[in-house]
Order: sequence, then C-alpha cells, then structure tokens
Amino acid sequence: MAVRELSSLEKYLGLKKPNKYSTQGDKKNNNGPPLAGLATIAHQLVKEAERPELLGDTAESRAVVHQWLEYSVTKLDSYTKEDIKIILKDLSLYLLDKVYLAGNQFTVADTLMYYGIHPVMVDLTIQEKERYVTVTRWFDHIQHHPGVRQRLPPVLIHRNRIYMADTIEI
Amino acid sequence: MAAGTLYTYPENWRAFKAQIAAQYSGARLKVASTSPAFTFGQTNRTPAFLNNFPLGKVPAYQGDDGFCLFESNAIAHYLSNDALRGATPQAAAQVLQWVNFADSEIIPPASAWVFPTLGIMQFNKQATEQAKEDVKRALTVLNQHLNTRTFLVGERVSLADISVACSMLWLYKQVLEPAFRQPYSNVTRWFVTCVNQPEFKAVLGEVKLCEKMAQFDAKKFSEMQPKKDTPPKKEKAGKEAAKPQEKKEKKKEEKKPAPEEEMDDCDAVLAAEPKTKDPFAHLSKSTFVMDEFKRKYSNEDTLTVALPHFWEHFDREGYSIWYSQYKYPEELTLTFKSCNLITGMFQRLDKLRKNAFASVILFGTNNDSSISGIWIFRGQELAFTLSEDWQIDYESYDWRKLDSDSEECKTMVKEYFAWEGDFKHVGKAFNQGKVFK
Ligand SMILES: N[C@@H](CCC(=O)N[C@@H](CS)C(=O)NCC(=O)O)C(=O)O
Repeated sequence: MAVRELSSLEKYLGLKKPNKYSTQGDKKNNNGPPLAGLATIAHQLVKEAERPELLGDTAESRAVVHQWLEYSVTKLDSYTKEDIKIILKDLSLYLLDKVYLAGNQFTVADTLMYYGIHPVMVDLTIQEKERYVTVTRWFDHIQHHPGVRQRLPPVLIHRNRIYMADTIEI
Repeated sequence: MAAGTLYTYPENWRAFKAQIAAQYSGARLKVASTSPAFTFGQTNRTPAFLNNFPLGKVPAYQGDDGFCLFESNAIAHYLSNDALRGATPQAAAQVLQWVNFADSEIIPPASAWVFPTLGIMQFNKQATEQAKEDVKRALTVLNQHLNTRTFLVGERVSLADISVACSMLWLYKQVLEPAFRQPYSNVTRWFVTCVNQPEFKAVLGEVKLCEKMAQFDAKKFSEMQPKKDTPPKKEKAGKEAAKPQEKKEKKKEEKKPAPEEEMDDCDAVLAAEPKTKDPFAHLSKSTFVMDEFKRKYSNEDTLTVALPHFWEHFDREGYSIWYSQYKYPEELTLTFKSCNLITGMFQRLDKLRKNAFASVILFGTNNDSSISGIWIFRGQELAFTLSEDWQIDYESYDWRKLDSDSEECKTMVKEYFAWEGDFKHVGKAFNQGKVFK
C-alpha cells in the first residue's frame, strides 16, 4: 500500500513536492539517513507539515497513534478474505467506545487507516456495513473530515437499519 | 464577529453553552460572573440590569454594541458560527430539534434526579424513580441515534452537541455510574468525545465521569434550607424540576414535598453565596425616600425643584451628609483618567446605590486638578466600613461629616448638586461632574 497512501497523506497535509518515495516505501531524507517504514515516514511528513497535533496530543495518544500506524502497515498491506474479517472485528471492538483511533482527536492514524481500509469498505455489502457498524460510523466520519477523501469515491452509508439489529458483530 | 459580555453565576451549565459556542466561532466573550463585575442575586436585580434583561435571569448577554439577549439557547445561537448552527435548512432544523430535546426531555428528569443528590431538593423516592426512567428513555433515543453517527447532526460538532452535552453534565458527573450507563455506550462515547474537544475543555475543564451513583444528601439539604426568618421567595413559575407532568402528578400525589421547600440550581447558587446581610438592616425606617429625591434630581430642575425637595424631606437622624476630597491630587494627570477614577469608584460601589447618593466633581485641567464631592449616606457612619467590597476606593479620600444645619453644608450641597457656584474651598474651575445615583 505504502506509496499510494503516503502520497494521499502528503496531499492531505498540503505538502508541495509529491513522489519522493522509492517503490519500497522509503523516503530519501534530504539531510539525514534514509528512513524506512511507513510509520516512520508518516511521522516525518507530519513533522514536515508542522502539524504535530496530528501525532496525538498526549504521550499516551502519541503511543496509540504509532501503534495504529504500525497496524496499518502490517495488516493492510496485503490481506486475504479471512484477514479482512479479523481486521474488521478488531476495529469494530476497538471503536465501540471511541470516535477516533487515538484519544479524542483526529490524528494521522485515522488518515492512514482510512486510506488503507478504503478498498475494503468499498466492497462491503449493506449487511456487512451494518454488522461492523462502529467501523462504518468511524469510516463515515473520517471520509467527511475536510481534505481527507480527495479523489477516492465516497462510500455510501445507510443510517437506518435495514437488517436485523441483533446482527451487530463486535 | 460578535463581541460582548456574558453575565452569569460561576460554573453555570447554561452559560457553558454560550461559552463553548464562542470558543468555536471565535466570538470575543468576556464572562462576568464574580464581584465586582457581577454578583448573582444582586446585580441581576438592579434597575440597570432589569432594564436590559426584564426577567433578571442569567445567563444574559450584552454585546459591546449594546445588543442584549437573554435565554441561554438564544445567546449560544447568536455566538455560534454557521457550521455550529447547521449550514443547510435541514441541518439547522435538526440542531433546533436537539436543543429543544435537551430542554424538554433531559433537563426536567435530570434535575429531579440530580438535585436531591446535591442537597438542593427534598428526596422523594417515587419522583427519583420516575426521573430515572425518563432519563433512560432519553438515553435510549440518543443511543440509537448515535449508533451510526459520530455527532448529533452532520459529521462535525454543532450547537446540538453543545446543548445536549451541557444538559447532561450533571447526570454524568453525579449519577450515571458505569453500570447504569453501560447500555448506552454510544452516548457515553459521544459525550466523552465532546467534552474532550479543546473548545469544550477550555470552558469545562476536566470532566470526571461518575464512578458511584450519588444519593440524597440529607445533611446538605437541611443546611441549605432557607432560614425561617428570611423573606419568602418570589413565585417561581415554570421551575424546571417541578414542572407539572400530568402522568407523574397522579402517581406521586401522596407524598409531594411542599413547593416552598424545593430549591433548584439557581436557588442553590444563591444559598451558597456568602451571606451578605443587609448592612443597613439595623437602622429604623426613615422618612426620607432616597429614590424619590433621585427622581426629582434626574428629571427636574436642580435649583428650583430638587434642592427644595431635598431640604424639605431630608432626615438628619436616618441620613448623613459627607464631604469627600481625593487625597492625592498631584497624581491626577489627564482629565479623562481622573474621570475614570470617579466612575470606577461608582461602579465598585454599585451595591450601595439604594442607600447613597453623591455628586463628585473634577476641578481644574490636565495635570492640575482635584476631585471632591458631596455624599448622602443612610445612617450616621461612613457606609464603606460595612462591607469589604466598598473599601477599595474610600481610603484614597478624606471624609468629613457635615452638619446639615450649617451654612457651609447648605452651600456645598447646593453647589455640588447644581454643578455651579463659587466652590470657594477649591480654588480651581469646575471641569466636569459625575453623579452616583
Ligand atoms: N431558560 C433560561 C433559564 C434561566 C434561569 O432560570 N436563570 C436562573 C439561574 S439558574 C436565574 O437567573 N434566576 C434568577 C432569578 O430568578 O432571580 C435559560 O436557559 O437561560
């Protein structure tokens, strides 16, 4: 996933010079050693854009941001149908009592997760979106966050239950 | 962009709505909640306040441009931006829907449940049980709505979230313990997110969710009861917690506490105010009616009407006349600054208005001026010693009690009230006068 997601993130951050990545997802740092790994690069980009709040506003949420960046890299790079189920279940449970992935504010973890999971969400049936209602709610909120969606097609969300209420899965 | 002052008592959840809206919109809002700017129960009963806000209730907003508003929801609406109010007709209507939902579905049962736990209302088991059921109903509606939504209207914080969250502050702080709120996890997720937004936090501080449901606080309740000798409270129509709700009324007929025993959050704040007992209470009734004189002074000619009226009715037992002189005339520089010194003192003495009258005059010009005045006080002592609030300015003045029968007094009263005459004792020309009334 790395390159596409990172260039989306760059656009979201309003950074001017796109395509600075090698195909391995490494970014050549002008005045430092080469950086490796999506999480590290995302960090670097946010710093470059001078948006430190996107990395979390407390030590705890900064740690959580990092954890979810790693999760996006490892789990959403390539996956099987079975993997998807697990990912959706993980997220569902996690988002039960949360609006954002880390803390009470929107962070870069939400952005990258959104880019990473977008292809999955596009393919979900209405029933599946209902089953993973907390993910759906989170996803809808993030796709409406100014500047995040860019050219990606919006995923349609139904607010009113069509299927049975007790199919919610967490 | 709106800019103005919000009058309220401190920590008023109704005022919070307006304050949070202002945080989002960037409206410049000063909050006047403490003395000397505002004292709940006093400032809001002055004629000046009632003139702008006929109900005398807070929160109340006055713009720097003079624009006045009461009713917290209207104030919050005014201080919002379009995004908070709802950018489309549909969104705006939905915002209104939730604002009203907070007032009519949450506040009445929340008050009935929470107030006894704060010791400001008698406990009544049936009323509390009914209130819990009503709160559950409101929570169920919210929980369902928030199942698929992050915020109440659209995908961002609106006035709907601000109003509903503020109306639930007491519930979440006092009684919604984890077990009770467990079935409403969407509501709690939403509430916690709201109160942790920087704009909410700036106003609310840290909001700590209830860990154990608070119960009736009998001790506090008995302490808070108004003493028997205090004058009866004025009729309170439409008291939120005591709003008649027919179906409930039937059920709890048997053991409803007498309405005069009930307090609401407003009364509680009043009761908690440090007791400023009327410092003039010990004086016997006077025949001199200060307000009557002030009316004459304001509306009619001073020399031909107001002064004769004054001397005809002045009661030398009940009142005293004082000459005041600013101690540090060498420090007076620009005249506008000197004037501010006088008007500032008047403002700080606001609570004294009922029992005092003064005409204070600035003489001279820039860098060569003096301030002196004539004061009429209830009683025979300087009223300033009666209350701490009044002592800020008085030490900067020399005070001399005048014999009301003396020629000196008659002349000074005449000259100072009329702002004309020789002012022999001054030796500088009249510049401008200020009247405390
Ligand atoms: N519906 C009004 C209620 C205002 C209100 O009841 N204010 C009370 C304080 S909680 C008050 O100022 N009472 C003073 C009085 O009644 O003299 C609002 O939301 O602003």
